[in-house]
Amino acid sequence: MAIDLNILIGGAAGQGVHAITAPLAKTLVRQGCWVLFVQSYESRIRGGHLFNKIRVADRPLISSREGVDLLVALNQETVQLHQDKLAADGVLIYDASKVKELPARGLKLALDPEALLPEKKAAEIAVNAGASGALLGLLQVPLMPLMELLLEAFLAKGQEVVGWNHKAAAAGYRLAAGVRYGHSLAGSAPPASSRLLISGHEALALGALAAGLQFLSGYPMTPWSSVLNAVGQRAAKWGVVVEQAEDEIAAINMALGASYAGARALTGSSGGGFALMVEALSLAGCSETPLVIVEAQRPGPSTGLPTRTSQGDLSFVLSAGQDDFPRAVLAPGTPAQAFALTAKAFNLADRYQLPVFLITDQYLADTNFTCEVADFPESVEVDRALETGPATGTYERYAITPDGISPRRLPGFGPELVVADSDEHTPDGHLTEDLAMRVKMHDKRLRKLTKLVTELNGITTYGSADAPLTLVCWGSSLGPVQEAVARLHEARTPARMVHLSELWPFPAGAVSKALRGSKKLVMVEMNATGQANRLLRQETGLTADHLVLKYDGTPFTPEDILRGMEGHA
Amino acid sequence: MLDLSLYQGIETAWCPGCGNFGILKACKQALADLEIRPENLLAVSGIGQSSKFPHYLKCNTFNGIHGRALPVATGASLANRELKVVVNAGDGDCYGEGGNHLLAAVRRNPNLTLVVHNNQVYALTKGQASPTSDQGYKTLLQPAGVAYPPLHALALAVSQECSWVGRGFAGMVEHLTGLYKQAMTHEGFALLEVLQPCVTFNHVNTYQWYQARVYEVEKEPGYDPENELWAYQKAREWGERIPIGVIFKRPRPLLEEAHPVLRAGPLVRQHPERPVRELLAEFF
Repeated sequence: MAIDLNILIGGAAGQGVHAITAPLAKTLVRQGCWVLFVQSYESRIRGGHLFNKIRVADRPLISSREGVDLLVALNQETVQLHQDKLAADGVLIYDASKVKELPARGLKLALDPEALLPEKKAAEIAVNAGASGALLGLLQVPLMPLMELLLEAFLAKGQEVVGWNHKAAAAGYRLAAGVRYGHSLAGSAPPASSRLLISGHEALALGALAAGLQFLSGYPMTPWSSVLNAVGQRAAKWGVVVEQAEDEIAAINMALGASYAGARALTGSSGGGFALMVEALSLAGCSETPLVIVEAQRPGPSTGLPTRTSQGDLSFVLSAGQDDFPRAVLAPGTPAQAFALTAKAFNLADRYQLPVFLITDQYLADTNFTCEVADFPESVEVDRALETGPATGTYERYAITPDGISPRRLPGFGPELVVADSDEHTPDGHLTEDLAMRVKMHDKRLRKLTKLVTELNGITTYGSADAPLTLVCWGSSLGPVQEAVARLHEARTPARMVHLSELWPFPAGAVSKALRGSKKLVMVEMNATGQANRLLRQETGLTADHLVLKYDGTPFTPEDILRGMEGHA
Repeated sequence: MLDLSLYQGIETAWCPGCGNFGILKACKQALADLEIRPENLLAVSGIGQSSKFPHYLKCNTFNGIHGRALPVATGASLANRELKVVVNAGDGDCYGEGGNHLLAAVRRNPNLTLVVHNNQVYALTKGQASPTSDQGYKTLLQPAGVAYPPLHALALAVSQECSWVGRGFAGMVEHLTGLYKQAMTHEGFALLEVLQPCVTFNHVNTYQWYQARVYEVEKEPGYDPENELWAYQKAREWGERIPIGVIFKRPRPLLEEAHPVLRAGPLVRQHPERPVRELLAEFF
């Protein structure tokens, strides 16, 4: 029988929800299970309520789903908030020193810190490692991979701490033997080739490193910060200059300076921070300086919901900046896409000398997916598209060319001078008030779009190609929509998904072709007004017959989408 | 010494008599004396009359947006430390719009020279007050006079141990050339403020006004620019007497030393090999 279980681990910030999740999830992946976990947290350092929801199955997972099968409660509030969703045959595992009121129904497993570990000062470890052990025991998964991971994780804290973790995990594992849980992962076995457990932003960071990232400047902001941290932690190993800027304005201008000088540069932020960057975005456009910018969305307006998810900045990213200038906008839907599109973004930025966006969101940023190595390319093409060797005649940074792309050189690599300007300029880069030149230069910049659009497609389809019902989505909604389409199939409603990951310049021909034959279009996106649907209408004349929108800050589930489709499927 | 004609840029759009001409002359002379070739020089600027400076000086140029020259220059110098990086900014540009970046640059200590063309007025926008306008200075926008005291940016820089702080006067080109040379050969962040008369909009702080007040601080008996408290007093002095010269010096670690990757050479000369399988390995 197929195994598909949801484990919810909840507590207050600082209680160790993540300390349980990380080794447990990795243990399950190493044991050959497929894991996908989402993180839900509040904008505070301690207290409040946060939870991680680990979905584990014996087949590939692309999305989270609703419901709870195993509930780990580190405090009373977790029981109150989630007990209604606990399956009838589910198990509540709880910290007996914190949880006093228990629901009447269902199986229960009490973790008594002192019984798990007599050392009073290690009460938190007792419950965290004990819960990990108990979960593996309930699922009949071998304990050894967890023991190895606990050793790796805590070796730096000393043998004593490792010992406590091992002792508590083993005690929790034994405790679970006394509970007769109806689902087992005993049939799982380590996969022939190792799988990865990786978040969207970690994959994006690796994509940037693979593409030869040399310079990252940024200012912390949730959920963008995880890109900053992921690269920052690996900067010394892989040779990246990572500079924490004094503000987002400095961050983007620093990245522009580094890129002008020849380093592959990345910056980014979330909505509010990106708003501060907009003047310099236009500078990237006018000065034709390559730059990759991550826009990690969260709900607005203004500060909005800092730790929640959204797809509400699409229109903003498409139109930010004064006057017209070319840009590219990419929106990955999975870690594999985040990796590949990030690498592509750097090449596009260099080839076309313009800003390239990667739009992500808190859901993609924080959600950990199980991936196969084969999901990632074996190597990444790095195309700097630079002109080298002596120039014929006087070098002009903004030479007027048929495709709008002027040969790019780096300052200090030869006698040619590289003059970049935010003012309207002559081909040699100097400011000008020659209005005919202004028109020529403006046209030259915009001409780059003609060739650029031929490099974009980014369409992922799923389901029956001839289904009359098409669910269109973009960015991180890929997983939930794909699973919703699969469930529609199971319910004998043929449907298909068309996911867009390359949004600007809009590949109108390819998208129109992909949507051809569709009788009913449904656009699924996480904003209140259907921003991608407006884009679709503007670029193709097609418009959705129905919108499934969500903007409460929590990510889509397949169930959300099916509910939103009721009466329209 | 290199030929001055090497640095001949495009035709200027400054007013006849503008203080910027003195700065341009001193800059070119210093570059020629130091034998810094145009292709090894990067001039970064923002917006304002002073920010047109790089166009009038033949060299690599990044003329960005108002107030943001310092972060651009910091990024460029981290990417390629072989470039001699000089920033030209105005008082409004650097002390107003980009104030936060000045504070950050003083802290970071990137290896570059910041030249602040201080004319105590917003000239390009036709005469509003600047952060350095004297209290009571009347403009169209401030008809009753500027209500609050000017920013003493050099005192701020000294108080934060900026690694090199100096002031020159556009009317004393030879003296300014010497300062330029010291600033550009200094290892670390050098803030060179230049008193720059605006002949069109500032009829108070004229050549004559500055001439009557400036004095060379190095001629003060025993003056020691490494003495922080003395330097602070000099940096704060503004009125009947205005000091010019090297006001403060403090050796400090360079920003690039904070980035281990730069020990292997300039970033732009490195070609990192990062095999995808090795990158993925830690996620198994």
